Amino acid sequence: MTVILAAIDNSTACEPVVATALALAPTVGASVEAVQIADEPGVTALATAEHHHIPFRVVAGDPDARIAEQVNDGEVAAVVVGTRGRPTGPRPAGHTALALADRVDKPVVMVPPDARTPEHVERVLVAMDGSPGRAAALRQAIHLAGDAHVELIVVHVDSEDSIPSFSDQVAHETAAYAREFLYRYCGEVPARLETRVGVPAEEILAAARDMEPDLVAIGWPRSREPGHGHVVRQVLGASPVPVLLVALADQ
Amino acid sequence: MTTDVTDLRLDALHRRYEGVVLVAIPGGGHADAVAELRRAGVAVATVDWHTGAEGVAEALRLEFGRLWALGIGPSNVAVVVAAGGAVDVTPLLALDQPAVLAVAGDGVPPAGAVALADSTAVAAVLADQLRRRLDADVPVAVAEPGWALRVEAFDAQRQRVHQSLLALADGRVGAGGAPLLAAPGSERWVMAAGLYTGDGPETRLVTAPAAFHLAGEDGPGERLCRLLDLRSGLLYEEAATPAGPVRSVRFLSLARPGTAVLRALSPEPLGPVPSLAPPAEDPVLDDGTDGGVAWARVVAGEGGVAAAAVQRERESAAGHVLDRVVAYATDAATVPSPAAAVGAATEAAGAGFEALLAEHRRTWAARWDEADVAVEGDPHLQEAVRFALFHLMASVPDTGEAAIGARGLSGPAYRGHVFWDADTFVLPFLAATHPAAARAMLEYRVRRLPAAMEAARAAGRAGARFPWESAATGRDVTPLSAVDRAGRLVRIRTGQLEEHIVAEVAWAACCYTDWTGDEDFAAGPGLRLLVETARYWASRIRVNGDGRAHLYGVIGPDEYHEPVDDNAFTNVMARWNLRRAAAAVETGPADAGVADVELARWRALADAIVDGYDPDTGVYEQFAGFGRLQPLIIAEMAPRRPIAADLLYGSDLVRGAQIVKQADALMLHHLVPGEVVPGSLDANLRYYEPRTAHGSSLSPSIFAALFARARDYERSLEALDIAGRIDLDDLTETTAGGLHLATMGGLWQVFAYGYMGLRPDGDRLAMDPRLPPSWSALDVRVRFHGRRLRLVKERSTFTVTADSPVGVSLDGRPYTAGPRGLVLRRSRNTWEVQS
Repeated sequence: MTVILAAIDNSTACEPVVATALALAPTVGASVEAVQIADEPGVTALATAEHHHIPFRVVAGDPDARIAEQVNDGEVAAVVVGTRGRPTGPRPAGHTALALADRVDKPVVMVPPDARTPEHVERVLVAMDGSPGRAAALRQAIHLAGDAHVELIVVHVDSEDSIPSFSDQVAHETAAYAREFLYRYCGEVPARLETRVGVPAEEILAAARDMEPDLVAIGWPRSREPGHGHVVRQVLGASPVPVLLVALADQ
Repeated sequence: MTTDVTDLRLDALHRRYEGVVLVAIPGGGHADAVAELRRAGVAVATVDWHTGAEGVAEALRLEFGRLWALGIGPSNVAVVVAAGGAVDVTPLLALDQPAVLAVAGDGVPPAGAVALADSTAVAAVLADQLRRRLDADVPVAVAEPGWALRVEAFDAQRQRVHQSLLALADGRVGAGGAPLLAAPGSERWVMAAGLYTGDGPETRLVTAPAAFHLAGEDGPGERLCRLLDLRSGLLYEEAATPAGPVRSVRFLSLARPGTAVLRALSPEPLGPVPSLAPPAEDPVLDDGTDGGVAWARVVAGEGGVAAAAVQRERESAAGHVLDRVVAYATDAATVPSPAAAVGAATEAAGAGFEALLAEHRRTWAARWDEADVAVEGDPHLQEAVRFALFHLMASVPDTGEAAIGARGLSGPAYRGHVFWDADTFVLPFLAATHPAAARAMLEYRVRRLPAAMEAARAAGRAGARFPWESAATGRDVTPLSAVDRAGRLVRIRTGQLEEHIVAEVAWAACCYTDWTGDEDFAAGPGLRLLVETARYWASRIRVNGDGRAHLYGVIGPDEYHEPVDDNAFTNVMARWNLRRAAAAVETGPADAGVADVELARWRALADAIVDGYDPDTGVYEQFAGFGRLQPLIIAEMAPRRPIAADLLYGSDLVRGAQIVKQADALMLHHLVPGEVVPGSLDANLRYYEPRTAHGSSLSPSIFAALFARARDYERSLEALDIAGRIDLDDLTETTAGGLHLATMGGLWQVFAYGYMGLRPDGDRLAMDPRLPPSWSALDVRVRFHGRRLRLVKERSTFTVTADSPVGVSLDGRPYTAGPRGLVLRRSRNTWEVQS
């Protein structure tokens, strides 16, 4: 049995993180365990775990290193973390969580503090910009979703850099593009393509608001280069639902 | 005793050749071997070495020419010299570089030649070639430089793009170039030309049972190589499998359209392989076997397609061989009987693989002989041109009617719907090279004239209104709405308002008659098309109180602006239509059914219609009020061009700005130069090109042609490069849905209209050739009024050769070109005859 690890702390993020893990678990056929990196168990964390009847453990040490160790355990399929304790928290959204995403190869689900927590994961919105590296990584998420029989909506956002050179007859052109896009990136997995043009983060967030998915999946470029990951950071800062980060190949 | 050629360790000879040239003493042996080779289908030529080295070299040149006409290039020819030490073969090496030159006899052969020991070794070489035929060896995947498209390895991401690029067609059916060993998710499709299924905007070309496949679903693996021989219409494939390489060749026979042929060779048995694979999109109506021949049928509207396959598997010294012949019988009016397909498949299979291959090669060679465009000085462009011409020729049948969709038979995108692409971009190439195919395209329009007349009546007009998108019935199948790439639901009004296609159908008819001189068509169905389209315009045009005539509420080629009034392109095309129809009626048969008063009205409307021309600037205003739009010059603003400006800036901004999708007013200078003010090209190019986003795949080729006319070669070649790469580099990101046939037709027009300056002018073909500095020569072949012409522009000379005397003109001066060639040299501003 695989495990969804709910990484919690003694904050208001406890409840949405555990709830998200519980919503995700049946989708991927996993159970849920909670972990806190601390010298002593937090009362809130412990109470939340007990409230949901899930195993809870406390691990002492450096938070970044120890949580990564826990996630890299063979049984863990994914980890759910909060992006920060409260909406008005002092640091940029997901600072610690993104550091975790840099260290682990497994999917990281990040729960913004004011996100709507799903009861079940039945509709996933996958955000893609169409570049081959991102597409390849996200294809794994798509197939995972396909295996779980969730409704899949792929949002592909063209920015100024990727706007097509040509667009002949709109009805035929969009259909041909969508057909090939879904073929390449979704294969046999049933999916719907939503195309957008604009600032990627804004368009992804707008789509997330319009289509009310239970989860947004997006590629996370594990790079220290300046400017990388800014779309993810913006999405994390305002996503109305939890965000699944899929590690992209080092670029 | 025979000597096996393998014993000779002659690797270069150890393969199958399509052509063999034997240089020998007449009667000096090998006659029986030559006769056997010919019976087996090998193209064998013999050359008498008595004529000496120079004589042999000249004879060989002739034989290479004959083999070329059979579709066999030098890379597929073995020259075997059985002349002892009597012939100095050094001059032979300066020939077209045959695949191998083997020399028997005394002395040391020159470098590059293979030494044969003696006459016995020559006999062994010939016997080896015969054995390869009898063992059903697969032809070797080679092609001449500039005549091939090679796709190495299997790319799961781009496999459908490759499938389109490597598509085969014979005018009646088309097949994607997917690997024979199917990869997961790959699609094998065959589409039947002109057979549609579905209704309204959802109408699409039907798919038929597939012919090109082998057993298994594990895919070809990464070690896969496919080579499309453009000159012979052959798709070679070599796939590495655990058992060894599987080599194959396949084609859709241009000699007998509707016939698919496959030969595959494997180290292990290939079966069990069903000879017909299910259609990609459509259900099978029924299937069965008849005398061991499998058949299946698919319905398309009232008609359908029947496919039948003869398959033979055997083991030979070469390996396990599978030969498959599939015949497709198609009929738009009724579902063909299985017997029709079974009979055709049985007959074709009875001819045998070698005969089918030979006739297919010959037919393609003949097509290229009348249509090739050779560019010296730009190998990449050369490949792009041949790639384009190949697919143009493959997509259109010679007989019946030809509904040529935007992607031809190379993919499912655009559903096979017929746009102005067919009439304006594709047809000119065929009218000027292979008139029967152009005539078939026009027949499609002629047979839908009643539907066009009904559409005009329904709109309260007279005459015929051809639809923006057409399919089986001739009624409009344009979608009414769509979600665009920006996710916006947009109303599509092209079906309602993009009426210039009415004039383009008439233009296509005239293009055909101008190139061919087909008087029967001109006086018959062509005249009907002209008259009914003119009647439509006459009923559509409104005359204001000031006496000026207008067309309100249309969409021009620049679809960023809609609706507009007095679109210059639409108005001038309508004017041309009215004038040309009036002239045709006056000079045509007496029973045209057009009264003098109607003719007079056509002429009056033509004279009165506004065309937006401003004599002060020399610019045609694209439509009424275009000059008052926000002057956003996209050449200065956009991050790059071409670019889909409506997506970049949004439709509202673009609609309010001077941002143009593609050549609009400038299209007049390309299509009807006689209708625009002489000398106005430069001013309009200067004005409109910076305002053009080139967001249509139709745009680059037209601008390449216009810049060529304006002698702005740098910009012409820049646009030409884009046009040539649209599919090869998948610039539209939709090549997986099929190839852009209109772009390909436009590419030919760059050379014919742009660089050669060709324009039919009555019984003469007007020419105005030019060459950009980076090319050393341009060689274009056309047909004009039944004569075959070859035009060669070199740096300082221009040569016109025709198979029989034909009138041409340069700078308005008449000349006659014939078989001996008319050679002209430019001296100052005039052409001087050299011979």
